[in-house]
Amino acid sequence: MIREMFKKFLLSAVVLLGTAVAAHAETFVFTAIPDEDETRLKTRFEKVATYLSDKLGVEVKYIPVKSYAAAVTAFRNDQVQLAWFGGLSGVRARKLVPGSQAIAQGEEDKAFETFFIAHNSTGLKPAASLPKEIAGKTFTFGSKGSTSGRLMPEYFIRQAFQDAPEKVFSRVGFSGDHSRTIALVQSGAFEVGAVNFKVWENEMKAGKIDPAKVSVIWKTPAYPDYNWSIRGDADKRFGAGFTEKVKTALLEMKDPDLLSSFPRASFIPASNSDYQPILDVGQKIGLLDE
Amino acid sequence: MTTSTAINGPSAAVPQRSPLLRASLGFFLLAVCLLLVADIEITTRDPWLELGRLALGIVTPDFFAVEDLAQALFNTIAFAIVGVVLGSSFGFVLALSFHHRAVRVFCAVIRAVHELFWGLIFLQVFGLTPLTAVLAIAIPYAGIFAKVFSEILEESDPAPLKSLPSGTGTISAFLYARLPDALSHFKTYTLYRLECALRSSAVLGFVGLPTIGFHLESAFAQGGYSEAAALLILFYVIIATIRVWARRQLVPFYILVSLIFLPWGGSISMSHVATFFTHDIVPYPLRVAETFDATTLSALWAWMTDLFAGQALPGIVSTVVLTQIALVGTGMLTLLFFPLISPKFFGTVGRNIGHVALVVIRSTPEYILTLILLLLWGPSMLPAIVALALHNGAIIGHLIGRHTETMGLRPDHAKGLNLYFYEVTPRIYPQFLAFLFYRWEVIMRETAILGILGITTLGFYIDSAFADLRFDRALFLIAITALLNLGIDALSRRIRARLRLKSRLDAV
Amino acid sequence: MLNKDPAPLLALENRSAHYNGLTALSGITLRIQAGERVALVGQSGAGKSTLLRLLYEQQADEAALVPQDLGLVNALSVFHNIYMGRLHKYGTAYNLLNLIRPQRKEVEAVRAITRSLDLEEKLFARAGELSGGQQQRTAVGRALFKGAAVFFGDEPVSSVDEHQSRDVLKAIVDRHETVVLSMHDVGLALAFTDRIVGLKSGRLVLDRPTRDLAASDLDDLYRD
Repeated sequence: MIREMFKKFLLSAVVLLGTAVAAHAETFVFTAIPDEDETRLKTRFEKVATYLSDKLGVEVKYIPVKSYAAAVTAFRNDQVQLAWFGGLSGVRARKLVPGSQAIAQGEEDKAFETFFIAHNSTGLKPAASLPKEIAGKTFTFGSKGSTSGRLMPEYFIRQAFQDAPEKVFSRVGFSGDHSRTIALVQSGAFEVGAVNFKVWENEMKAGKIDPAKVSVIWKTPAYPDYNWSIRGDADKRFGAGFTEKVKTALLEMKDPDLLSSFPRASFIPASNSDYQPILDVGQKIGLLDE
Repeated sequence: MTTSTAINGPSAAVPQRSPLLRASLGFFLLAVCLLLVADIEITTRDPWLELGRLALGIVTPDFFAVEDLAQALFNTIAFAIVGVVLGSSFGFVLALSFHHRAVRVFCAVIRAVHELFWGLIFLQVFGLTPLTAVLAIAIPYAGIFAKVFSEILEESDPAPLKSLPSGTGTISAFLYARLPDALSHFKTYTLYRLECALRSSAVLGFVGLPTIGFHLESAFAQGGYSEAAALLILFYVIIATIRVWARRQLVPFYILVSLIFLPWGGSISMSHVATFFTHDIVPYPLRVAETFDATTLSALWAWMTDLFAGQALPGIVSTVVLTQIALVGTGMLTLLFFPLISPKFFGTVGRNIGHVALVVIRSTPEYILTLILLLLWGPSMLPAIVALALHNGAIIGHLIGRHTETMGLRPDHAKGLNLYFYEVTPRIYPQFLAFLFYRWEVIMRETAILGILGITTLGFYIDSAFADLRFDRALFLIAITALLNLGIDALSRRIRARLRLKSRLDAV
Repeated sequence: MLNKDPAPLLALENRSAHYNGLTALSGITLRIQAGERVALVGQSGAGKSTLLRLLYEQQADEAALVPQDLGLVNALSVFHNIYMGRLHKYGTAYNLLNLIRPQRKEVEAVRAITRSLDLEEKLFARAGELSGGQQQRTAVGRALFKGAAVFFGDEPVSSVDEHQSRDVLKAIVDRHETVVLSMHDVGLALAFTDRIVGLKSGRLVLDRPTRDLAASDLDDLYRD
């Protein structure tokens, strides 16, 4: 016990000095930010880690992160080798890590949508195209790096109005979170908001939304979203064919308890090219440098 | 006599405002003018549903909903302690050479950057490791410690030094004649800083470090108010009992325990450190240019002017507007808060209630206060102003309240409001203003955190740059923020000198 | 004047007082009638301030006081410091108004007092900017402004020069029915009071009408 503590102490002293400590090469680390319910992340995803560990035959660890940017940084700095990214963060991460690939997506992610929601006092009615009357209202995105809460809604706003959101609306905010977007529009703090359709549907089911106060006014066209991406050097470090093994393990994940953490019905194959539309949109609206 | 007064300025025989009052009035009027142009619209229509949930959560705290709660609490305290120990040690060394201009500038620069930004920078370099958290606290704190420690040394009684036998060595002279006098001030100040560090440590959780802020942010964002209430209550208890557990003799023990039990796992790759400094933070036009020629230069110029006009400038305006209004709000709330814990106004029971109230107000991170007020009033600058004023008002109110403890009054002093307006407030006013001017740059730094919530201060644009992984832009904007802070710091020093306010304070 | 009235204004019976384990006063018995002007004299450390404080406490609500540390608010003007003598007489709102904008009526009343103390030029100077003597006169001004019948002063003119001291003491005795002063200046004590109480090492060693005394009679008090 004391020896163990002493060892830990020595190790920490070394780290503290900033000396590079070789990663435990045998541990495969992943991270994931679900699009809703960020509580008890560790408890939920450690089950996924156990599942992957059984399938892959290596030690698998999960680390929780706070934001898409943090996930991308961890992926880039090799603190994680596999990550459950949003569409935009996946594109960013793969740009930064040469050879990395998108290997799977949720069944729902091949045709993801954003819902524009409005407080009912605005009098806005559901429409087939983005209602022009939202101009001049107050508007909130989700988090700044989100595909469904930021990138795509901004793209469609720019397309409809030929102008930046700050020019279209009287006030633009970033709620930081889909659940919070709903809460803010429901309270009338913002008149209009853009929210991940799955979060909306689940919160509606959970009875957290009062239809007398807030409702959907427009649904965006479909676009690809969340994805599993793996670093390009995974095969080199964990053995030939490792990437393929990870992909298979993900596609074969059928336990609803595991899938509900994401939450997705199942995982299906994906490739980098599936996300070309996201890359194009990102560059078009200036969120990505060319 | 009367004739000479015409030459010597205003006569003392007619009413005149003291320079302190005139300065206060000037700041007040400026804030009122800014309020007229600032965005403080209340837009919320029916916040009661969400506020009802919040109220319910507060009265039903759930201490078992947070996973790894013990580790999060431990991390919060351990980061703070190690950060303060490192910060005060470096700060002490820097204080000894503070007479060098280079050292002073260096310290001013490192403390001009908010710990949250240091955290975001180190996150890119060292990842989610304790090193990131510890350095994010230790570095800006070293700059603050250096300044305060050097001021304490400067103002220590020079008499002992003069009475030393000639030929006494420099180090002996320092150890015998200067340090002993300063040491008790160092101790008081360090304890105060530890409380600040606990708050900083919690705040670092908002960007992903594993402190209670991590869980607090998630809980608040997703309406887990029972969980949030539990976290806040535990945090209040830690802060309120700081005098009980923060003892000098226990410091080595705490450091040892921190080093052993912090989750040091994870790796730091020197190549990523190098990439960050040689690639990531290099302005984009330079990074992609093949040669450094006129085209590159004009691209760089365009990059800088775009960034300055599009983000820095509006950011500076919002930051300054928010800061000035929040500063005056802080002052007004301070004057309201300090009697709550002053023995001049309340008995033991009343003071204890006051202490609890002030601990709650000052320990609730501004970020959380703003989130709550945002629900209540909608997304204008108003929630940020009130949150900053409450938070800082409670901090200075606490310090001023303690200050009144030693104030001697005549046996026939006035009572109640007369006591407040005629005896106590005029006496504490210079001290109060000094605290407030010291806090000025702190308030400006704190506007950064609120940027993350969408209040369009410089912090907002910096956070966006980090979210977009554009570290070149982030660094550029951080540099501008630092310059703005240095400017406020210099202005504050000048005003304090002008008003002849005591230059050093044991706290703030 | 010294006949034993059954109800003296101030009375101590065999009182002692201790500070930090040291005896400041021991076995003091003293009665003071309304209308008397009493000087407490003795070396510094003899117990004058302690005795004055004990006597003051018996009349705290009614009496005006000039404590040795003056109790001025340095950040406020002479006007405000003097006005503070009547804070208890006015409503808080009015006091607040006077703090922000001195009312003419009060200014004139306070001005009259500063005139008698030769302080008029400094009416709106901040107390912290005054000389020691001016500060002391301001403290006396506050006591005068209170308009009490009983006055207690702990060395109220110790920093004021000889000539002005006489004016100040005259103002004090003219405006109060009963006056108790602790003083170290024997000459002034003899000139402005009608009863001298002498203290030595915390004991009452002298208590006689002034008219029976000459300055030399007090020399014993200052001898070790």
